[in-house]
Amino acid sequence: MNKCILTLLLGLALSSSVYAGDLVKMKGKTQGRTNHEFIYQDGCQGCHQGSGKKNAKDTACVECHGEINSIPVDESKLAIPEAHPHKSLHYNQGASCLACHGEHEKKAPVCAECHRTWFGEM
Amino acid sequence: MHNRRNFLKLSAGAAIGGMAVAMPATSFAKECKEIQWDESHDVIVVGSGFAGLSAALNTKRQGVGSVLVLEKMQVIGGNSAINGGWLAIPKNPIQLAQGIKDDSPEELVKDQIISGRGMQNEAALRQIANRALDAYELCIGTGVKFRDGFNIQVGGHNKARAIRTQHGTGGDITTKLYEAGVKEGVEYRLQHYIEDFIMDGQTIVGLKVRKNYRFPDIKTGSTVYIKANKAVILANGGFARNMKLREMVDPSLDPTLDCTNALGATGEVTLTAMAHGALPVHMNLIQTGHWGSPDEGGFGWSNALLSIGWHQGAAISVLNGKRFMDERADRKTCSEAIMKNRYPDNSPAYPVVLFNYEKYKDDDRVVRALRDKMAWKLDSLDEIASKFNIPAAELKRTISEYNGHVNARKDPLFNRKMDTAEVLTGPYVVSRIWPKVHYCMGGLKTDLGARVIDGRSMSPINKLYAIGEATGGVHGEARLSSTSCLECLAMGIVVSETIKSDAQA
Repeated sequence: MNKCILTLLLGLALSSSVYAGDLVKMKGKTQGRTNHEFIYQDGCQGCHQGSGKKNAKDTACVECHGEINSIPVDESKLAIPEAHPHKSLHYNQGASCLACHGEHEKKAPVCAECHRTWFGEM
Repeated sequence: MHNRRNFLKLSAGAAIGGMAVAMPATSFAKECKEIQWDESHDVIVVGSGFAGLSAALNTKRQGVGSVLVLEKMQVIGGNSAINGGWLAIPKNPIQLAQGIKDDSPEELVKDQIISGRGMQNEAALRQIANRALDAYELCIGTGVKFRDGFNIQVGGHNKARAIRTQHGTGGDITTKLYEAGVKEGVEYRLQHYIEDFIMDGQTIVGLKVRKNYRFPDIKTGSTVYIKANKAVILANGGFARNMKLREMVDPSLDPTLDCTNALGATGEVTLTAMAHGALPVHMNLIQTGHWGSPDEGGFGWSNALLSIGWHQGAAISVLNGKRFMDERADRKTCSEAIMKNRYPDNSPAYPVVLFNYEKYKDDDRVVRALRDKMAWKLDSLDEIASKFNIPAAELKRTISEYNGHVNARKDPLFNRKMDTAEVLTGPYVVSRIWPKVHYCMGGLKTDLGARVIDGRSMSPINKLYAIGEATGGVHGEARLSSTSCLECLAMGIVVSETIKSDAQA
């Protein structure tokens, strides 16, 4: 995990003109997040269970980012304090990362299905 | 994990009934098919709302073996996670502390019989009401917090017996039941879609499951076979989000009505059960919540806001500025009255509900409604008339007359109980209302032990159980508010007891 973070920081430093998490072309037509650039260097299997044809699982996210409740968000940007997506009153630990986050495309979080004015696409 | 093999002779003859014609593809025609089980569990629960989570935790606690919960969406909780967090519990501690000593399970059943209009299952309602305190204890025991001192009378109930979770959402319950289940060894999986049941005659032996499914694309994921040694519990909820099915079973349902439910409430597991002989009842009885707002998505704030409005305010037609219903009547009565408000082209003329701002301005139900712009603070009746295009003179006459009825504590127009009504002086909180499709009274017929009934033999399908909104015939024509959560939690307890007893038989 430490290696991951180190590479992550390096990746950020090298791409100072783009924000971490921005969607850019990674491989061919496949888009990906700038902070994940280093993962693509080893192909798709880092997230996709050994083959790009297989789906990615939460464990791939958790390995570097940690469990959902421990991942900080910029709370100054929340519509209200209770709108904390990593401490959701509706789901808390019961939400998959994939419910809100798309690696290869922009996605509106599951919260936006009801709270239409609180969250944008990410 | 292809280590479990099972050779089944699947009987085609028993399953090809008339009912199967319009049903989803099933596997019962594959005679002598060799099922290669990918894994096996003692109990499989389908769905992770109140019913599924209660059933999973309680079955685990009964000690009948391994319990696996399958949820097709990417979050745990189903529609329950976004519900309003109301729970009817006769004799709950808050009610008793309020000095209400004359409530009982039987009093609740009495209300439900009136609301069910002769179509309800009285024995099932009584069983659920009798387990209400067990359901309450299940919540308290897993760390669910309810609002201090809060216990009120909601539509159609003759007593104040509805308590509410701390944050006003069922998520306060689903998150706790889920986290307790994880601690106690229940296994939960997201993105697992039930493709079919694997039957051996009138016994369910397992499930054909699409894992890594991504709603709503049925082509995603891959198929696995999961064996169920002792039980499959269907807790897949209702089908209010299945527009095709909704229209087929109730053509009178206005297709423009929005829905309160989570997107996954599409009912395909219920259809699969039907294809295997399960008897559906009351499928056309679909409830609209009369407390919806056209100015927000999903279940929203409107229901809670109107818990003030129905009591301390008045509902007004924008067409003529008059009241048009007993604001405290049950859902069906109010829904029908509200939906009569139409412009000549039949489009909705959303009525408004208004109550006094000053007394409730710091109430969370008001603060968030104003903040998220699904309600407005307006200073005068003229402002209200102008904003919502209501005849001003008629509106003023109506409110003046209404205030007289409040003072007299008597409503000669609609016979509303006026004990909580307040003289309306302004400034006002005003919101628009229009029903939303909310709940399916219909579903799979079960016996009192939650065993699913086969419509051909009129006897239980072995090892197949159903609880919660997936079942039908419990509430009859109209379910009372705050009773679904109760039903789901209580039946999760009941089904665990049935399974323990069936497994020993």
